[in-house]
Amino acid sequence: MSAQPNTLQKSKGKETKVPLKVVSDQTSAPSSQAPDLEKIAPELSGMLRVLTCGSVDDGKSTLIGRLLWDATDLYDDQRETLRRGKTVDGGNPDFSLLMDGLVAEREQGITIDIAWRYFDTQHRRFVVIDSPGHEQYTRNMASGASHADVAILLIDARHGIKKQTRRHVAILDLVGVKRVILVVNKMDLVDWSESAFRKIEADFETFSWRFGFWEAKAIPTAAVSGDNVARASENMPWYPGPTLLEHLESLPSRVTEPTGPFRFPVQTVLRDSRNDFRGLAGTVSGGSVRVGETIVDALSKRSAKVLRIATMDGDLEQAAQGQAVSIQLDTDIDVARGAVLSKADTRPVTARVVEARMVWLSETPYDPRGSYLLRTATDLTPVSSLKIRALLDLESLETHPADACGTNDIALGDIALGRPAAIDTFADAPETGSFMLVDAITGASVAGGVVTVANPEAAEADETTFVLTRAMLERGLNADLSDQPQSEAEFRRRANEVALILRAAGINVEIESAADYSI
Amino acid sequence: MTQPISHLDLLEAESIHIFREAAAQFRKPVLLYSIGKDSTVLLHLARKAFWPAKLPFPVLHIDTGWKFRDMIAFRDKTARDFDLDLIVHTNEDGAQKGINPVDYAPSVYTDVMKTVPLKQALDKYAFDAAFGGARRDEEASRAKERVFSFRAEGHRWDPRRQRPEMWRLLNGRLGAGETVRVFPLSNWTERDVWRYILREKLDVVPLYFAAERPTILRNGQLLMRDDDRLPVKPGEEVVTRRVRFRTLGCYPLTAAVESDAADIESVVAETLGARTSERQGRLIDHDQAGAMEKKKQEGYF
Repeated sequence: MSAQPNTLQKSKGKETKVPLKVVSDQTSAPSSQAPDLEKIAPELSGMLRVLTCGSVDDGKSTLIGRLLWDATDLYDDQRETLRRGKTVDGGNPDFSLLMDGLVAEREQGITIDIAWRYFDTQHRRFVVIDSPGHEQYTRNMASGASHADVAILLIDARHGIKKQTRRHVAILDLVGVKRVILVVNKMDLVDWSESAFRKIEADFETFSWRFGFWEAKAIPTAAVSGDNVARASENMPWYPGPTLLEHLESLPSRVTEPTGPFRFPVQTVLRDSRNDFRGLAGTVSGGSVRVGETIVDALSKRSAKVLRIATMDGDLEQAAQGQAVSIQLDTDIDVARGAVLSKADTRPVTARVVEARMVWLSETPYDPRGSYLLRTATDLTPVSSLKIRALLDLESLETHPADACGTNDIALGDIALGRPAAIDTFADAPETGSFMLVDAITGASVAGGVVTVANPEAAEADETTFVLTRAMLERGLNADLSDQPQSEAEFRRRANEVALILRAAGINVEIESAADYSI
Repeated sequence: MTQPISHLDLLEAESIHIFREAAAQFRKPVLLYSIGKDSTVLLHLARKAFWPAKLPFPVLHIDTGWKFRDMIAFRDKTARDFDLDLIVHTNEDGAQKGINPVDYAPSVYTDVMKTVPLKQALDKYAFDAAFGGARRDEEASRAKERVFSFRAEGHRWDPRRQRPEMWRLLNGRLGAGETVRVFPLSNWTERDVWRYILREKLDVVPLYFAAERPTILRNGQLLMRDDDRLPVKPGEEVVTRRVRFRTLGCYPLTAAVESDAADIESVVAETLGARTSERQGRLIDHDQAGAMEKKKQEGYF
């Protein structure tokens, strides 16, 4: 893995700098007149997003509240509000008040939506994503989990691993969470029993090994009293491991090094006529790229060399995963929003059909004749057919053939696209291998999913499929659009809408893609 | 081995990504500019997102007529310096009726002079998306806010009809009558905003820095008498105190804190050591329980 350069470097005769702040390297601090940032406002070396799942009954809000109370930078007025409020469990403040949000939810006593909380320890930013535990909120948990680096699964020591825990683990696996922590809470209510904990720990290991987690760790706690949350428990000397906080601080931070093949989904094209600049703006979603390297647009199959990697803070020599930049190419290959740039030997699939696993989010069930769009990294493609094949039973983890699905279901299905889109499998490149399924009429996000297989071949040739050709669209509907590259996005938008209308009328439609007509 | 990049780098990249997604997906976006520190950061990130091109959308300020004079001067200078397409909108009807923060309850004033004109302006120019500087760490009801926050017709926010957001995917397809508020600073905290202002050496309104200012002590809060429209009640006196502001708004509704922090470094040092969260200084929030959530449902940012 190449090091991120942090110093000024010469490139093509002009000075370029890489504005990545390398926190642990204090010697690279800016010039002497600059304020002593490191003393006044040290930047934190990274971030960890932590999903908390479990039900209110298991003491989830209390656990996180306790963590905030003991370990972090809570403000005085927040502490005061808590001290003034009602007390629970033998005189402790009600820590759960730090986590519960909306008035409606406070009244119901359950969390119905995901809530985000932020706290800093000395070195690190923690983002706590709190998701509801009840079965009917699988969709909220799945959406919360998709943002997480690690998940805390909270269970009650008296009850052990329940059906719900199994559901949660399956959802974490589906959306790509790689590290899990099983917090066995309320140890005080089982007399701090080691055997009770060990039994649950063993159950968890047996159950979770089949998933591809990189790490699964169990920790015994009592959130109300704070045992093993931020402070080692005196009641459980038999537990030699880290407290929850210690363990969280030891995990690797979010996006610290580029992984996987280079992927650059183009968001928009930036122009500056003053100096003939045409930059492809986007965020590197995998791997890295350097000036001078050859990249290829999977859809048009055209390639070019990276001439500049531009930012307002100066040009970069290299851009890595997570960085938002503009890439200027040495030749104008007519790339627009929706394209995914890659290296020539590790391209995404120009997919016509994808097999996917998805969480159905909408309260409106799947409609085989519905109009759907597939939102991938930066593309929006009309779906020509969506077929549900099976549903995943979250408890047995078995799939059962099905042709319908509704809210909170995990479905396996085949999605045929109205035109090719640059897509990866989720295992290869998560950001270009995940999608939202969008209702074309209401705009609602009806499902979120991951691609398991991306197939470049169209579904079996259907003689009734009507192909909306480029020439056809140029003649009338798009006659007002210029040849300017920025018109391509509008061209595609109109084509999508026509396809959706025809499809709603029962006509199978495909849109002739850019790849089909370019050289 | 690559060294870890800082959390501010990650936040900056994420915000730029959000700006670009919104600009690409919505027909006519606008940036809501309130002149304060969050807006300053928001604007800076927007410039980074589209550099070297000009901002592809205008900047809108809802002027209640009661902002600190220093804020208005700063707004106009910023618009000139960055060549912004600035739109200033006031609820003329409310202004003519004399709705003001001195004589009216904060909830009435906020509705007439902030919420209503915001809706007026969004409707008048037919903006389908508005960037705002709201952060999830500000207040409990905002902790559940989405990055793309959808508003039904009439700009109403319904917590139960928000779209799930997964991974980094942002679905901006609008249903009939829908508009969206976009929050690029969703994952920033108050401390991040200050750290970033310091790191990027951004200019902010001088009111954030301590200076001798004419103040009145009222209900335990220090108010600055920015002009003589704020009457001095019997028993009160105008005292020159060394104060600064942690948050900026309409001057009769914005409490000052006594402070010696007169430059950005000391402000940041003070803020990072602060023991009271910022909304303490914003008087409208204490109006009623769940105040912010209620205001949001009515269309307040």
